[in-house]
Amino acid sequence: MPIIICVDDEKSILNSLQMELVSALGDEYLIETAEGGFEALELFEKLLEDNYEIPLIISDCMMPDMPGDELLKYIHTISPKTFKIMLADQTNTDAIVNALNHADLYRYIPKPWDSGELILTVYEAIKSYFKDQLLEEQNEALKEMNTTLQERSETLVQTLDNLKATQQELIHSEKMITLGQLIAGVAHELNTPLAAIRSSVENILNFLKALEQLPPFFQMLCSEHQQDFFALLKKSIQQTPLSSKEKRQLRRTLVRQLNEHAIEDATTVADTLVDMGIYEIEAFLPLLTDSKSETILEKAYQLAGLQKSAQTITFASERAAKVVFALKSFARYDQTGKKTPSNLIEGIETVLTLYHNQLKGGVELIKNYTELPQVMCYPDELNQVWTNLVHNALQAMSNKGTLQIDVALQDNQILISFTDSGPGIPDEIKSKIFEPFFTTKPAGEGSGLGLDIVKKIIEKHNGRIKVDSIPGKTTFTVSIPVNPNEETCHV
Amino acid sequence: MSKPVILCVDDEAVVLDSLKIQLKQEFGDTYFYEFAESADEALEIIDELHEEEVEVFVIVSDWLMPGMKGDELLIRVHEKFPNIIKVMLTGQADDDAIERAHHKAHLHRCLHKPWDGKELIETIKSGLATL
Ligand SMILES: Nc1ncnc2c1ncn2[C@@H]1O[C@H](COP(=O)(O)OP(=O)(O)O)[C@@H](O)[C@H]1O
Repeated sequence: MPIIICVDDEKSILNSLQMELVSALGDEYLIETAEGGFEALELFEKLLEDNYEIPLIISDCMMPDMPGDELLKYIHTISPKTFKIMLADQTNTDAIVNALNHADLYRYIPKPWDSGELILTVYEAIKSYFKDQLLEEQNEALKEMNTTLQERSETLVQTLDNLKATQQELIHSEKMITLGQLIAGVAHELNTPLAAIRSSVENILNFLKALEQLPPFFQMLCSEHQQDFFALLKKSIQQTPLSSKEKRQLRRTLVRQLNEHAIEDATTVADTLVDMGIYEIEAFLPLLTDSKSETILEKAYQLAGLQKSAQTITFASERAAKVVFALKSFARYDQTGKKTPSNLIEGIETVLTLYHNQLKGGVELIKNYTELPQVMCYPDELNQVWTNLVHNALQAMSNKGTLQIDVALQDNQILISFTDSGPGIPDEIKSKIFEPFFTTKPAGEGSGLGLDIVKKIIEKHNGRIKVDSIPGKTTFTVSIPVNPNEETCHV
Repeated sequence: MSKPVILCVDDEAVVLDSLKIQLKQEFGDTYFYEFAESADEALEIIDELHEEEVEVFVIVSDWLMPGMKGDELLIRVHEKFPNIIKVMLTGQADDDAIERAHHKAHLHRCLHKPWDGKELIETIKSGLATL
C-alpha cells in the first residue's frame, strides 16, 4: 500500500490529521506519522529503502528541531516525485516561498485547516502523483522502445551490409564455378597451340642436327640453280593458308603437270610442293628436272619448314596468349567499384574465346555486330553477364544448334541479344527464371543464380534484360544506355 | 602400286601441319599422307582412296570436332575397313567416347594433346606391326 506521511510536533494536531486522512483514504493508503523533522526523515528514508511508494508528505511548518520547509527541501532531494504539502499560516511567508522554490511545494494549507479543503487537496495531490508516475512510465517505455528500435535498425543495417558482402561473394563464386566448368575446354584451347609449338620446335631441332649437310649442298648447286633455289624459298614464304581440300585439288593439278614434264615420283613431288606453297611449277622446272632434284627438293622443303615452324610458333603463342588473357580478365575480381570506359564487344569476344572449344563441337555461331562507342561500365561484371547467357544458351541446346549474337545501337541504347535454337522456356516458368535459386537443371549443373546475377549487374548499369522464347528460338536481350549513369558525373 | 596412306583428321590446321612434319620426318616417302579437317572429309577421302585402290594403313583422329566426333568417325571407318589402325588424338578426353572407340572401333591407342612426337611415332609403328 502507498504511504502518506504526516509530520507535526503537536501530538493532538498530528492525531486529528491522521484520523481525518484515515477515514477518507484509509482503505487505500497507510497513514504514517512523525513528531518532528528528524523522525520524519528517518522514517522516510527507511520506507524508501523498503521500496514503499510515498505519494505525499504533509508537514507542519514550525517545528522545534527542523522547520517544515527545510524538511521538505531535504525530502525533495531524495524523492522529487513525492508531493509536498505544508501546514502554515500567514506569518510563515518566508518558509512558504523557500519551500515553493526549493522543495517544489505543491500547496500550503493554513492552520487550522478546513477539513473538506484538506481532503480535496490531498486527493488532488495523489491524483497528480499517479498521473505523473503514469506519464513517466509511458515515457520510460517509449524511451526503451526507441532504443530497441534503434538497436534493431542498427542490426538491420549490419545485416544489409553482410548481405551485400555475401552477395558479392556469391557473384564471385558463381563466376568461379562457371570458370571451373570452363576449364576443361580452356585446357584444350591451350593444348592445341602447345602441341603445335612443341612439334615445331622438334622440327627446328632436327634440322639443326643436319646443319653440316648445308655447305656441300650449296656447293653442289650451279649458280643458276642457286638463284632458282632461293626464288623457290622466297615464294614458299609468301604462301597463304589453304584448306586440306584445296591442297588436295592443287596437288592433283600439279601431279598432272609434273607427269606432262615426265618428272618422276610425281605424287610425292607434288605433295612436297603443295606443302611448301608452290602451286605453279613453270619457273622451277630447271630444278625439278635436274638429276639431283630429289635432294634439292628435300633441302628446300626443310628450309621452308623452318620458316613455317617459326610462323606456327608465332601464331600458336599468340593464340595461347589470347586464351590466357581471356582467362585473366574473366577471373579478375574488380573491387575498386569504379566504372571504366570499355568496349562491350571486346568483352563478348573474350567470353567467346573461352567457349571456343565448346562452341566448335556443334554450334554454329552467327555474329551480327555493329561498331559500338566506349561506355562507362564494370567490364568484369558484364563479362559475367555474357558468360551466363552464352552458358545457358549452350546448356539449353546441349551444345548443338545455332547461337546468334546481335549487337545494335538504337536511341543511345546498346542492344545485345543472344538467340539460341534450344527447346525454349515454357510459359509457366518464364516469370521465375530471374529469381535467385530458380533452376530446372540437376544439382551440380545449375545453381539458379545465373540470371539473378545477370539481372542485378544489368540494373547496376541502368539497363534492362528481357526474354522472348518459343521452342527453337530463345532470345535474351540486354539493353544498356550509352551514358549509363548520370550520377557518376556528380561524384 | 601407290604407297599406303596415313590419314590424319583434325579441325585445326596447325595440328595437321605438325602431324605432317613429324610423320614425314620419320617415315619419309614410305607412306603417303592425307589430311582432313572434318570427319566427313575424312570419310570422303577414304572412299576416294578405296576407289583408286589405295590402301589406308592408319587413321589418326582428333575427338572434338564440329559435326561428327572422332569416336563416331572411327566406328564408321571400322565398320567398312576393320583393318585400318585407329588412333585417337585428343585434348579433352571424354572417357565414354574413348571407351566406345575401344569397343566398337577397335581403337589402337588414344594419345593426348599436346602429344610427344616420339610417342606418336611409336604408336603408329606398334600399330603397323600388327598388320
Ligand atoms: N537459353 C535458355 N533456354 C532455355 N531455358 C533457359 C535459358 N536460359 C535460362 N533458362 C532457364 O532458366 C533457369 C534459370 O537460369 P539461371 O538463373 O541461369 O540458373 P541455372 O542456369 O543455374 O539453372 C534455367 O534453369 C533454365 O530453366
